[in-house]
Amino acid sequence: MPRKKGTPTFWGYRRPEGPPGGRNHLAIISGMDNSNPIVRRIGSLVRDATPVNTSFGRALMGEDEEQHWRVMGHTAAHPNVGAAIIVSLEPKSANAIAEVAAKTSPWMPIESVNIQEIGGTLSTTSHVVELATKLSAHLASAKRVRCELGELTIGAECGGSDTTSGVISNPVTGMVADKVVEAGGSVIFSETLEIVGAEHLLARRAADRKTARRIIAAAKRAVDYAESIGVDFIGSNPAPDNIRGGLSSIEEKSLGAIKKAGSHPIVEVVGVGERPSKKGTIFADAPCAGVENISSLAASGAQAIIFSTGIGNPIGHPISPTIKVTGNPRTARTMAENIDVDISGVMEGRMRIDEARDLLEKELIAVMSGKLTTSELLGETELTVSRAALSL
Amino acid sequence: MSRGLVMHSKDNVATVLEDIASGQSVEIEGGEKTLMICATEAIPFGHKIALGKIRSNAKVLKYGEVIGTATQEISAGSHVHVHNIKSTRG
Repeated sequence: MPRKKGTPTFWGYRRPEGPPGGRNHLAIISGMDNSNPIVRRIGSLVRDATPVNTSFGRALMGEDEEQHWRVMGHTAAHPNVGAAIIVSLEPKSANAIAEVAAKTSPWMPIESVNIQEIGGTLSTTSHVVELATKLSAHLASAKRVRCELGELTIGAECGGSDTTSGVISNPVTGMVADKVVEAGGSVIFSETLEIVGAEHLLARRAADRKTARRIIAAAKRAVDYAESIGVDFIGSNPAPDNIRGGLSSIEEKSLGAIKKAGSHPIVEVVGVGERPSKKGTIFADAPCAGVENISSLAASGAQAIIFSTGIGNPIGHPISPTIKVTGNPRTARTMAENIDVDISGVMEGRMRIDEARDLLEKELIAVMSGKLTTSELLGETELTVSRAALSL
Repeated sequence: MSRGLVMHSKDNVATVLEDIASGQSVEIEGGEKTLMICATEAIPFGHKIALGKIRSNAKVLKYGEVIGTATQEISAGSHVHVHNIKSTRG
């Protein structure tokens, strides 16, 4: 790939095919909630193993089951993973998740283990420790090589938003997203309820009519669902505290939220945890809540996530390093150990907005080259899979 | 010096970064060049200031996009909020 002059590079793990990784995790993937304890235990028994727990997974049906397998399989097959072991209660789910993973990253060593066939907690633990130790030795010789910015897909998320999110941290995240897209890479943004009010403006940014229709349909589905449970979403936004904060209309609120995705045309809409088929700015139709959203972004292939926050949120993803950026001076001070990039200087007149952009871009490069994020250092990482249906 | 941020070159409002008193000068950053504007009334932190005269029924632009319509004429330096603009979403 020819490199534009001045475009930064990072040190990543080249894969036999597909995008490079910024981490080389040996991922121990839990297939369902009942397998989490064994997976957690492996994390403390094998030095380099990264346990990835899940929510639900048992007794799912149809689209819901498919979505669960997709998110867990795509997480196992993530570019930041060098090898994966799927641990589940029974063979059907373990094999289904391993199959999704193998299809996505055919080069990756993937093992599928189920507790019922191996027989109980102790035997399964011992078996997975043995497998993990072997795979860990296999991963130990991997070396980082120079990779291009355009090989990146980043996720853009905002959580714990306030006034500073809309005017500082989201626009700055959007500037970095634009740079990645201009270099040939992608940004995935989501949080469907947060586009409501500005979906007509977002649809105008769609690269084609099908994408525009999917944006409008995603927003309508969210509003209709809210209405079906008695919530008038458009009528109740901006909320009284938003108005006190200075937001005058629902479109202003939504525009501030979607600013994190930059300014380029939207080339594709994907569902929860789906891998995009195109490069550029991608909208994922996924719920807003932080952990659910970053779980979807990572499963869609985001090698790193920029998480813009106003009042603060400590959480990150176990596989896709999550970079916390805030423009709120109070949060930068009171939650310092949870903040990776402090651009509150913009608020206080100590930093220009382009300096803030450069600082965030540098951190993205450093993190993709191996620098640990605050959530990785503190172990503040979590994954959960959005439900497509009610549990029965 | 009090400060404000404009998000896009097409915008006719900026967001103030601290509480502004009536008559105070506000330095507006983020555009091609820094603007100075005098606040004609008090504007709380995070709220919007009109960068020029906005006619009644004219579009109010932030992020380069329409965030609402002016319900009355808004003079330069005024507080722009729910009392003088309304959503186009009904």
